[in-house]
Amino acid sequence: MKELALNSNEKTTQKQYMNLAKVNRRMTARLLINNVVKYLFFASTMFGLVILAFLMYQIFSDGLGWLSMDFLTNRLSTLPERAGIIGAITGTVWLMFIVGPVTMVLGIGTAIYLEEYAKKGKFHSFIQTNITNLAGVPSIVFGLLGLTIFVRMFGFGPSIIAGGLTMALLVLPIVVVASQEAIRAVPSYLREASYGMGATKWQTIKNIVLPASIAGILTGVILALSRAIGETAPLVAIGIPALIVPIPSSITDNFTVLPMQIYYWTIDSVLVDEYASMAAATIIVLLAVLFLMNSVAIIIRNKFQKRY
Amino acid sequence: MKKYLVALSIAALTVFTAACGSDDNSADAGELSGSVSIDGSGTVYPLMSRIADEFMTIEDVSVEVGRAGTSAGMQKYVVGETDFSNASRPIKDEEVAELDANEIESKEFKVALDGLTLVINPENDWATELTEEEVKTMFVTGNIKDDDKVLWSDIRPEWPAEEINFYGPNENHGTYEFFVDVIIEKQDLVAGINLQQEYSTLVSLVSDDKNGIAFFGFGYYVNNDDKLKAVSIDFGNGPVAPSLETIGEDGPYANFTRPVFTNLNLDAAKEKPQVKAFAEYIFSTGAADFAGETGFAPLPDEELAEALEFVQNLK
Repeated sequence: MKELALNSNEKTTQKQYMNLAKVNRRMTARLLINNVVKYLFFASTMFGLVILAFLMYQIFSDGLGWLSMDFLTNRLSTLPERAGIIGAITGTVWLMFIVGPVTMVLGIGTAIYLEEYAKKGKFHSFIQTNITNLAGVPSIVFGLLGLTIFVRMFGFGPSIIAGGLTMALLVLPIVVVASQEAIRAVPSYLREASYGMGATKWQTIKNIVLPASIAGILTGVILALSRAIGETAPLVAIGIPALIVPIPSSITDNFTVLPMQIYYWTIDSVLVDEYASMAAATIIVLLAVLFLMNSVAIIIRNKFQKRY
Repeated sequence: MKKYLVALSIAALTVFTAACGSDDNSADAGELSGSVSIDGSGTVYPLMSRIADEFMTIEDVSVEVGRAGTSAGMQKYVVGETDFSNASRPIKDEEVAELDANEIESKEFKVALDGLTLVINPENDWATELTEEEVKTMFVTGNIKDDDKVLWSDIRPEWPAEEINFYGPNENHGTYEFFVDVIIEKQDLVAGINLQQEYSTLVSLVSDDKNGIAFFGFGYYVNNDDKLKAVSIDFGNGPVAPSLETIGEDGPYANFTRPVFTNLNLDAAKEKPQVKAFAEYIFSTGAADFAGETGFAPLPDEELAEALEFVQNLK
């Protein structure tokens, strides 16, 4: 070991050997740095986890007491003992029914066009760059876009259809990029075999490419949906009312969603102390829904991924 | 696989829509239906949402209450997007002009009385009383020191020589406009005052700052009297603590009291029976019953009766 260290420190001029004491000193220092760095990285990993654990502890100790069947099935109210989140849950489900289909049609359509039809050139890379940039646009900007176009220009008001379309635009890049990656991962020999059998491009896409990439695409759609149901800023921008009691029953109804409820209750906790616990309980519900959706995404990915 | 998924989602959508639809028809309590849309002041929101909440237990009407702020609410109201617009200040001339331009008939009603409250940290055991004059002096720039680094001892020599930290709601709030326009008579606020959008932020800032002082509506103080202390104000006849009794019409705290308003779209009230019914409910029951609970002093009975009569006569 010492011999090795000696050799590695050897300079070009043969005579300048280091003495043993110096080598040992360097060795200790190097090993020390190695350890310091190791614990530094460990600490960075733990930092996030500890904060998360602390947050979870706070939320669960605060909110678990409020979670009950009544809380889940009651309508919204200003009185804590009467209040529940069925309206927000229903609103969240409605939102998914708009965001899901819209992003699937537009997102997968875009991905198929870009991957299968479009010629790779300036126009293609222009679109590609824009989609990537779109994924980085702050969500509040999409909210203002939704307010101008869907709420005001189309006259939808702060309804499910307006909120859903705004959220669909927000998460569209996620679906496009995920679908593109899934389609790109389909081996080219499958396509070539299909063409070899005389199939047209559309027949190849329909019968070969889409079935082979559906797992990746669905994973992207589910992750996009979970982003959409956790977002607050765009809905604040389109003007969701703070008190909305009836359960929405059509896409033109005004609505509220779980994160909006969390937002309003947290801010209003200066007025009524119980609102803080009710916000925590709603966070638990939202976390449970997101956890479930992300698990489904992981299961789909693992189950269908290695088919080729 | 794909076909199966499509079929599944269509089936789910159908079942879901059907379930929601049937739920809607079953609740058929009153004769009224439809919705009432309200937006505007965050100060009035606790009272108006409480009234709406109670109204909805009687009638099968959806009353939606927002609280974008007085001015933001007005922007929606003047183009006819909302039926009511709550305000913590009187309507402005340019807003009236816009209503006229859009041919909307509107009327402003007082709903309740709010006492502007000065709050300090519970550990602050000296500045528990201030004179009206001291408040009007200390919040104005340059009055005490050129650099606005005001010490408690600058106000009264026996108080600690520690710097005062000023807080308040920002320009979006009617409360800010009332404080600047009426209390300090349109002079500039002290430099370095920390203005916030949310009242919750102000509450936590002052409850953590021994040298902090803030102003906001009485309702936000009463719900946090464990974290904050209200300053008693001497209007010339000895110190008066803000309370539901003292902030009332002609009460001893009246100098710092202001009415809060709601604006009613009269065309909407004539066309939509649920809007008229809710307006009647506000002035017959709601405003009087729930003002105290939400930190407001109720209006005198005659004023409410007058408003009720006006609404009832709308045709």
